[in-house]
Amino acid sequence: MAMVVDQTVAEIESSGYSTTTTTTTAEDEHGCNWNDWSPMVDWDAISGSYDDFHDLLVESITEDNSTAALHPHPHHDPAVAIANMEAEMSGGGEDLKGLRLVHLLMAAAETLTGVNKSHDLARVILFRLKELVSPTNGSNMERLAAHFTDALLGSLQGSGGVHSKHMQNSGSHHHNHNHRDDDYRQTDVVAAFQLLQDMSPYIKFGHFTANQAILEAVAHDRRVHIVDYDIMEGIQWASLMQAFVSRKAGLPAPHLRITAVSRTGSDRRQSIGTVQETGRRLIAFAASIGQPFSFHQCRLDSDETFRPSGLKLVRGEALVFNCMLHLPHFNYRAPESVASFLSGAKVLNPRLVTLVEEERGPTGDDGGGFVTRFMDILHHYSALYDSLEAGFPMQGRARALVERVYLGPRISGSLARLYRSRDGEYCGRCWGEWMGVAGFRPHSVSFANHCQAKLLLGLFNDGYRVEELGNNRLVLGWKCRRLLSASIWTGPPQISDD
Amino acid sequence: MFHSKKPAGSMNHNNNNTDRVVVPPMCVQGDSGLVLTTDPKPRLRWTVELHERFVDAVTQLGGPDKATPKTIMRVMGVKGLTLYHLKSHLQKFRLGKQPHKEFNDHSTAKDGERLALELQRNTASASGIIGRSMNDNVHFTDGIRMQMEVQRRLHEQLEVQRHLQLRIEAQGKYMQTILEKACQTLAGENMGAAPGGGGGGGGSSNYNNKQGEGIHVLTGDMKDFGSPVLVNFPSIQDLNIYGGSDHDHDHHQHHVQHNMDKSSPLDDGFHMMPNTHHHENNIMNCPPGKNKRPINPYGSSGSTSNSTSTVGKSPLMWSDDFRLQDQLGPGGSSSTTLGSQDHHDHHDHDPFKATDHHHIIHESSNFSSSEMFETKPVLSGDIHHHHHEKKFDAISSSRLERPSPRRAPLSSDHHHHLPHRIISPPPHLMNTSAAATAAAAATPQGRNSPFR
Repeated sequence: MAMVVDQTVAEIESSGYSTTTTTTTAEDEHGCNWNDWSPMVDWDAISGSYDDFHDLLVESITEDNSTAALHPHPHHDPAVAIANMEAEMSGGGEDLKGLRLVHLLMAAAETLTGVNKSHDLARVILFRLKELVSPTNGSNMERLAAHFTDALLGSLQGSGGVHSKHMQNSGSHHHNHNHRDDDYRQTDVVAAFQLLQDMSPYIKFGHFTANQAILEAVAHDRRVHIVDYDIMEGIQWASLMQAFVSRKAGLPAPHLRITAVSRTGSDRRQSIGTVQETGRRLIAFAASIGQPFSFHQCRLDSDETFRPSGLKLVRGEALVFNCMLHLPHFNYRAPESVASFLSGAKVLNPRLVTLVEEERGPTGDDGGGFVTRFMDILHHYSALYDSLEAGFPMQGRARALVERVYLGPRISGSLARLYRSRDGEYCGRCWGEWMGVAGFRPHSVSFANHCQAKLLLGLFNDGYRVEELGNNRLVLGWKCRRLLSASIWTGPPQISDD
Repeated sequence: MFHSKKPAGSMNHNNNNTDRVVVPPMCVQGDSGLVLTTDPKPRLRWTVELHERFVDAVTQLGGPDKATPKTIMRVMGVKGLTLYHLKSHLQKFRLGKQPHKEFNDHSTAKDGERLALELQRNTASASGIIGRSMNDNVHFTDGIRMQMEVQRRLHEQLEVQRHLQLRIEAQGKYMQTILEKACQTLAGENMGAAPGGGGGGGGSSNYNNKQGEGIHVLTGDMKDFGSPVLVNFPSIQDLNIYGGSDHDHDHHQHHVQHNMDKSSPLDDGFHMMPNTHHHENNIMNCPPGKNKRPINPYGSSGSTSNSTSTVGKSPLMWSDDFRLQDQLGPGGSSSTTLGSQDHHDHHDHDPFKATDHHHIIHESSNFSSSEMFETKPVLSGDIHHHHHEKKFDAISSSRLERPSPRRAPLSSDHHHHLPHRIISPPPHLMNTSAAATAAAAATPQGRNSPFR
């Protein structure tokens, strides 16, 4: 298949299509009008004279003629568009190339769903894209396009294991020693984690904002119990403990109890160590700074459902639910599982619920169509890539590591899920909204917290910004794109009489 | 200021039931019961009651846009109230919620709190506050109160800053334990393995070269990866410029300044797993001195003489760890902060209390919060120097990289837009040109994405 495609594409390239497209929208300096884009490529704007080999192409790559029938008008045929775009790609600057990659990706996305659905055309486009870009080389857009291409191809071929495949492909360059892959992966993960932390404010923003809110909420408590949905390596709690032991006015550090919600399965792909290891590490850290601390685990059910009854609660403890969801290094969590956790929080009426999640673009109530959501994800990650590059333009290899370890797999995951739900309902959701609907009350962000976020961003390169939304949410963005938000909630008002 | 106001506040309470007015100091009471200043344009204090009557009148007249001062005056019928008063009040009223907020507070003593609340929304910026105070045509005393409020806010900001610093350090510390663990695991599993090639030459084998006892996890092309990364991560030191610690360590500053001019040799790599005593020098070596990060003059000697064990365990010399290293004194007393293996045994010396050993540039310890906005210029010498250097590098590197019109302006006005910005120039723009050249050559990546 690939061979055939290559040949045909080569033919197209040499056929000398004229090269005019309208592609000005994305040239906007700040990229703000991304969402104004029509989700459909403007095929009409792509001029190209009808040619016999169009039919030839379609016939050569499709088993049946349905595709040709679907596209009676040659100008509306994505295949022609590819030819055009590729012809353009030979000229023009890097920006233009990036833009064309976007168009190709859009074209591919369009052929995966909707009325113009044609998997064969999608394959043509994707295989061609694959030739054009590599996840480890080229501009941000080129690398991103490579990840997106791989992800779409993976989805298309129905191979569930997008990650592993992808990782092997892209990771094959870096070593070929006779060691076990896991070791390197683990080292890479640790290194990438550190890099990610140091290069970008995302992780610290989420952790510090949540922690500051927790600190304020339990300022006078002597015992604090935090239920952490996804504790990962536990780094969030180092700074909280530090803050506890240096509480003002000689207040002794409260006793801190952390219950890590853990999965029964072993999804350690990108995790650093196990929950048990995290516990040990936290205990050692707490001991080193004199923070009274204990660590517990609460297992999720096999279907990742959280049961509040699994928690050990002690009277007199200030209860806090902490829910970090989409920090760049976090694993994906099924919405049902998150919902069960937050619902559990509602039942137990905690002092505070801290929630950090990814921000999505305004895609409409229904989340938009497949292509819209696809483009939103592309926009999201391009902003992420750009933010890293802007801060560390010379550290291509550092960024490459972060991209390979964290961002690439995330993209694959996001797109795979998006693809699975392409004709179904919109499965992604904004948990902040969910919280409001579920009856949680917004808890306002303090001046100190806002101030802290601003100071934190000040430590990084220009371009990041923080905004306060709805009084209880701080949003971290890159330029005009919102990327991550931290929101603070309290339990719903209790009707009980105690 | 506050106390000069207090009588007025309490009086207000006492008079709450009369439909009258707060008496600011230096005011005469008109026969109407309204309280006016001796000003040629007499000011009056809009009490809750008065405001309510005003609002009633406005509603009666069909809303703030329809009502005019004249009609309001007629409807309200309060003697002593002039068109002048009504005009300005109506103006404010039309402008939005502000008057509401202002008048919902029932006593002037609460003004501070109200302001604080407001400030919470608009993150204290002095110009904003001052601007608002001008617009609102408030009393002189209010202005002073606001100034105090500003100071309070700035103070709080400094506090936040100090805390942030400590928190970042704590995270860095914790990170170190993670790194150590990873290194140990790796080392353990690599014990029997044959040593890899010496230098980790190319990009093909960067991730697991064994060299002697040290494992270069991320060595290889330092110019591309290690060194700039090393140099460039924002450090808490940036925060430190404005202090936050109460201790005085003038000698630290000395070292810092002294070392600004020195440069250490660029190491060939940094070691993720320096569980060995052979590499202290490498470990302690700092990247090229052109960066603004101060370099510990006692680096090599200190490590060999007294902190071999602790330093030897420092897994990575990135970012935050750096800072700790900077603080290593000649006596090595603070070196406990570095080896996180050690710190478990040092309960008496709290390694996470940065106040013990942090002070880089020390103009800050005494400064009043009001000076904060001016501190950028105050920081004289090196900072300015770096401004220039930075601009230069920004230009040169962008030229090397690829024409990028947006980069240069971005960095050059970096310091003027945000007066309260507390960082000094981003270190990442301060590579030596050599490094920049090399890196640019190695990674020809432009700012190519169209999403901008």
